[in-house]
Amino acid sequence: MADPAVASGGSLNAGGRGSGSKAASSPAENYHLARRRTLQVVVSALLTECGFESAEKAVVETLTEMMQSYITEIGRCAKAYCEHTARSIPTLSDTVVTLIEMGFNVDTLPVYAKRSQRMVITAPPVTNPPVTPKALSAGQKRTHPPHIPGHFPEFPDPHTYIKTPTFREPVSDYQVVREKAATQRRDVERALTRFMAKTGETQSLFKDDITAFPLIAARPSAIPYLSALLPSELELQTLEETDSSEQDDQTDSENTAGNIITDDPGADKENSMLPPSGVVPSTKASEDNVIDNPYLRPVKKPKVRRKK
Amino acid sequence: MNRKKDKGFESPRPFKLTHQVVCINNINFQRKSVIGYVELTIFPTVVNLNRIKLNSKQCRIYRVRVNELEAPFIYNDPTLEVCHHESKQRNLNYFSSAYTAAVSAVDPDAGHGELVIKVPSELWKQGDDLKVLKVYIEFSLDQPKGGLHFVVPDVEGSMAERGAHVFSFGYQNSTRFWFPCVDSYSELCTWKLEFTVDASMVAVSCGDLVETIYTHDMRKKTFHYVLPIPTAAPNISLAVGPFEILVDPYMHEVTHFCLPQLLPLLKHSMSYLHEIFEFYEEILTCRYPYSCFKTVFVDEAYVQVSSYASMSIFSTNLLHSAMIIDQTPQTRRCLAQALAQQFFDCSKSQADEWVLKGISGYIYGLYLKKTFGVNEYRHWIKEELDKIVDYELKMGGVLLHPTFSGGKEKDNPTPHLHFSIKHPHTLSWEYYKMFQCKAHLVMRLIENRISMEFMLQVFNKLLSLASTASSQKYQSHMWSQMLLSTHAFLKSISNVSGKDIGPLIKQWVDQSSVVKFFGSFAFNRKRNVLELEIRQDYTSSGTQKYVGPIKVTVQELDGSFNHTLQIEENSLKHDIPCHSKSRRNKKKKIPLMNGEEVDMDLSAMDADSPLLWIRIDPDMSILRKVEFEQADFMWQYQLRYERDVVAQEEAISALEKFPTPASRLALTDILEQEQCFYKVRMQACFCLSRIANAMVSTWQGPPAMKSLFTRMFCCKSCPNIVKTNNFINFQSYFLQKTMPVAMALLRDVQNLCPKDVLNFILDLIKYNDNRKNKFSDNYYRADLIEALTNSLTPAISINNEVRTVDNLNADVRLILEEITRFLNMEKLLPSFRNTITVSCLRAIRQLQKNGHIPSDPSLFKSYAQYGHFVDVRIAALEALVDYTRVERSAVELQWLLIMVQNDPTHYVRHKILGMLCKNPPFTKTTDSTLCNEALVDQLWKLMNSGTSHDWRLRCDAVNLYYTLFGLTRPSCLPLPELGLVLNLKEKKAVLNPTIKPELAVENLCLSLTSDFSDEDIDMETVHDSQAFIHHHLNLLERPSTPGKHTHTHTHTHRQKETEPPSVEQSMLSMPATPVPSFSKEATSSASKHGSEHSHHHHHHHHEHKKKKKKHKHKHKHKHKHESKDKEKERERDNSHAYSNSPASGRSLRSPSLSD
Repeated sequence: MADPAVASGGSLNAGGRGSGSKAASSPAENYHLARRRTLQVVVSALLTECGFESAEKAVVETLTEMMQSYITEIGRCAKAYCEHTARSIPTLSDTVVTLIEMGFNVDTLPVYAKRSQRMVITAPPVTNPPVTPKALSAGQKRTHPPHIPGHFPEFPDPHTYIKTPTFREPVSDYQVVREKAATQRRDVERALTRFMAKTGETQSLFKDDITAFPLIAARPSAIPYLSALLPSELELQTLEETDSSEQDDQTDSENTAGNIITDDPGADKENSMLPPSGVVPSTKASEDNVIDNPYLRPVKKPKVRRKK
Repeated sequence: MNRKKDKGFESPRPFKLTHQVVCINNINFQRKSVIGYVELTIFPTVVNLNRIKLNSKQCRIYRVRVNELEAPFIYNDPTLEVCHHESKQRNLNYFSSAYTAAVSAVDPDAGHGELVIKVPSELWKQGDDLKVLKVYIEFSLDQPKGGLHFVVPDVEGSMAERGAHVFSFGYQNSTRFWFPCVDSYSELCTWKLEFTVDASMVAVSCGDLVETIYTHDMRKKTFHYVLPIPTAAPNISLAVGPFEILVDPYMHEVTHFCLPQLLPLLKHSMSYLHEIFEFYEEILTCRYPYSCFKTVFVDEAYVQVSSYASMSIFSTNLLHSAMIIDQTPQTRRCLAQALAQQFFDCSKSQADEWVLKGISGYIYGLYLKKTFGVNEYRHWIKEELDKIVDYELKMGGVLLHPTFSGGKEKDNPTPHLHFSIKHPHTLSWEYYKMFQCKAHLVMRLIENRISMEFMLQVFNKLLSLASTASSQKYQSHMWSQMLLSTHAFLKSISNVSGKDIGPLIKQWVDQSSVVKFFGSFAFNRKRNVLELEIRQDYTSSGTQKYVGPIKVTVQELDGSFNHTLQIEENSLKHDIPCHSKSRRNKKKKIPLMNGEEVDMDLSAMDADSPLLWIRIDPDMSILRKVEFEQADFMWQYQLRYERDVVAQEEAISALEKFPTPASRLALTDILEQEQCFYKVRMQACFCLSRIANAMVSTWQGPPAMKSLFTRMFCCKSCPNIVKTNNFINFQSYFLQKTMPVAMALLRDVQNLCPKDVLNFILDLIKYNDNRKNKFSDNYYRADLIEALTNSLTPAISINNEVRTVDNLNADVRLILEEITRFLNMEKLLPSFRNTITVSCLRAIRQLQKNGHIPSDPSLFKSYAQYGHFVDVRIAALEALVDYTRVERSAVELQWLLIMVQNDPTHYVRHKILGMLCKNPPFTKTTDSTLCNEALVDQLWKLMNSGTSHDWRLRCDAVNLYYTLFGLTRPSCLPLPELGLVLNLKEKKAVLNPTIKPELAVENLCLSLTSDFSDEDIDMETVHDSQAFIHHHLNLLERPSTPGKHTHTHTHTHRQKETEPPSVEQSMLSMPATPVPSFSKEATSSASKHGSEHSHHHHHHHHEHKKKKKKHKHKHKHKHKHESKDKEKERERDNSHAYSNSPASGRSLRSPSLSD
């Protein structure tokens, strides 16, 4: 059984029909078509043998398909058996076991083969099996080192096991980087907002074309001050980032201005004294007994009911 | 109680209140209702006290008991409906006097009140012995419209989870809205306050929290407060909500409260409060008067800051995180303001309020000076001075200390105003703000006079007097010494300083108006003398004559010299000898006022004159406006070398008139100078853009400020890309924000924004990168959008074609794309206070107005809905107000007015009316289809009865009515029955005042043709009244509709109006600066008619008499009805509390009285 036939089984459906109409140009396709045609002839012969005088095309086709599947399965199975026993080419016994495995009575085979009314079919036209295109080889294949015998398989292409330097020189030009960052951010924002506008309710500035400049509809919220006052997660994130890696002073020369607004250094000072959410609660906890604030005192239990 | 001991203070009441208990048992957030009782302990000060008058509004009163005895009472609130239904009067003069009368009728300072309680006869005997009376009143409030504000977000969960809260609010003394009391700043007493609230809530109120006790079912708790320091009822407040509690880490007696989830912001925002405390205590050398202090941050606040005894209620929107730059100084200012008001909080009478406001404003100014620096302080003083001067010149004088002799209307100290200043409740909000502003400026004038040291000593003296008085627990007659009064204040000043500030007080306190100077000079080379001429305008409205010293500073080549000139009656010219000869050749440094010596390029100077610049009243020690003429180079020198920020700012505004390369250079230099105060530099940006526009044909080089901005904020290697944001230097930050906004105002020869400026701004937006910044860039981005807005110019349109996407200008398309993206991003990542949405909405309105996109109000309507952040709503409403004016849309006007009536947020209602006044759809001098009878009736109803729950809103409505229709009967109304009214007293005949529109029109015509002042016209009419009336009768005989009638008459007038008939056309013909959001149309006040005035007076006289009669009736009724059963009484009272007409109170028609 020819392996390529097995391999090409999947593509048969595609190429099998309408071979006439389609100009089958590639040699691989011609090869498969020839095989297929032979199978059809076989099926037809068998039908004739069985006494049919004519058959619908669809029937022939179906039977061809079945036969092909059967043969393919035998081939696949036989190959599996042979590989199971660490060989590379199936032997007769592999095939026999396969047939038995598939529920075929092997003993009847010789009788059947020698039956009298057997029709002789011409061999399929000789066509060259398609040449599998060689994998594109990249780089020089390594030769075997001396301790490995020559019959062992060759090394694969170097790119499969060697780190290949494919990156380009990173763009370090400041202008380009900024340009890229800006464009990227803008694209992301635009895509995101467009998506939101597409999927949700929108408002429009134009009456004639409501899809131009779609605005995400304004939706009132029950507690509007929360979203307006609390910093968004993104901002918090950036704040953390800048906190951890102190902002590099790109404007060092400009910061020496003498006339700094007096209130704001104060703010910074206090920020450093009171880092966000750090100090206050802990002092509160530790000095709870020290702080005497009426709002922190426990709520008293009601006294025994008394008359007013 | 011997009242004679109280020197100078006569209580208007026949009793003294010593203690009051307020107990609120139940607060229902679902139903928005409150149930409670009050108990007032009073000492009668007259022998037969049989009636007690208290203040109470909108409370439903169930029962009143005096010393355990049921007492009958009458509830009558004449302010519910000022003028009666049947009245067809529609002129504002009538309304204002009726409103003043109504407020006076329940004025606690005159001993009146809405609630009159009859003391049971059993107690009369006791009253004779002047024994204590306890007045116990049970009351409830159901969905209060004023006084208490409920915020109940519509989400899932319990009330605490929803963040529902309630707080008290009001304009001046408004405590009567939420419990019965003596609602006066002059009646002090000690307090016991009890509030029972849900266990998950906190009740914050005045005084010390003594204890918190669970109720028996453990589901509620009661907060017990005691306020041992005598306090006036208007200083009592309450806030209940699921607040997060933060004890101040520096001062444990200070507690902060905020709504759930905002604690991190609260921590940051309150981290510097202790510094303010320390500052005030230090300068006043006096401890904070209360033993604790509480700050509460609430949503939907009435005002940003309101101060009460030992607590302040703030808007929650003042809270901010550490990333926000712009809000930080604002919040600090608000806190400082609130604290300043804590030290002085009660005055003897309305007339003394200026002392309170003045002192708190003054010490707040001292805080500003200390914290934000002298530059900021002087800048602020200049700003405030400009504000008050502009207001007074436009609207007429602001009187700090009005005296009302006899209360007759004739003696009205402010006849130019359309409201009475006698009561805080009749004051327009804008006037009140200006009043506060003037008060603190006058305090500063006093400081200039007697030195700061003495000033602080005076304050200290007043405070220690008050604290001694308050510590005398059982001598309530001493408490009146806690009340501040003009008299005591002035006496203290003269004691401490030994100086007589009488003339100063007379000029600025007892008299309204400001001074307007015009100055010019000439240099007399021969005599080496500067001949200075200072003229005054004291005839136009809002001005007064100034006589006294004035300081003039002359910067000469040899130094700066101060001269004090006397402004006298007739001397206009003053000779000032110069110290230096003109000698420009010598290279010598020039000494400045502050001792600094600088090199100057003197080539620009006049070779003959040694004068560099001259300043009049440099210390702002007069409330004045100075228009001074000096050469452009002098202004330029002043800008460059004068170190006082006020002088620099004055120079900048003067330079606008000199668009020359030299001015350009001076401004550019200032912009670059980092030592210069940042606000001056910001102002220079705008001046530079105006100069550039004036010089457009000769302008050399790149657009103004572009290269400067590039140098300061863009990358060295690629000048078209802005550096990644780093706002660590706040001055640069503010400059970076301002410059693009100013640049966008540049125009080229075609009156368009130059292409490279627009691209530049678009690039700024594109390359804006805030990832490495520790501060938020939301304000910066908002300003960039504003810059885009500023760059817009009117679209070229061919015969009013419909605006479509296809014919959108390419530049506008880019702008619109940015705005769309910003606005949409804001939905996903909202910015602090939604600044970006606010800017975008303004931009969209500007696009509409300039005809780039179709004018459409629906977007703004959706953003104006309740449920958006308040800043966004205001911005949207602003756009709608503008739309209403431009499109003359009756629908939108209705929509706005309905919102005024129904919106849950008081601040928004107030703002709508305020914005409508600022940018009115039409005015009394313009004709409009919007002006019709229905609108007049609607507005009349709004101010007459629709706004009785909020004094401020009512005054806003009055303002709007005034702006739209003026003082007289609106011209669009049909004429009422014609009639002459004979005023027998004044012996003249006048037309029925309801026909006044014609008169007004007539006056207007007159005032156009000749420059008669109001008095002149009056004279004219009185003189020639025969002919005048005859003329009018003739007019009236014509069967024309009144509207058309007016039309013909106003014709001449309207031609002078700037507004052309079609708005669309006007937009096209307009110069290409963007259409200002609010065109400030000069509201030329319709000249008021003297005769009409007198008529009103007359009319009122009658009204008063009638009232008196009715009063008598009422008392008779009451005597009769004493013994009626309670059931009926309650019924009657309910009906009164909820009946709309004050008449119901007078002509008591309840069953109990009819029999």
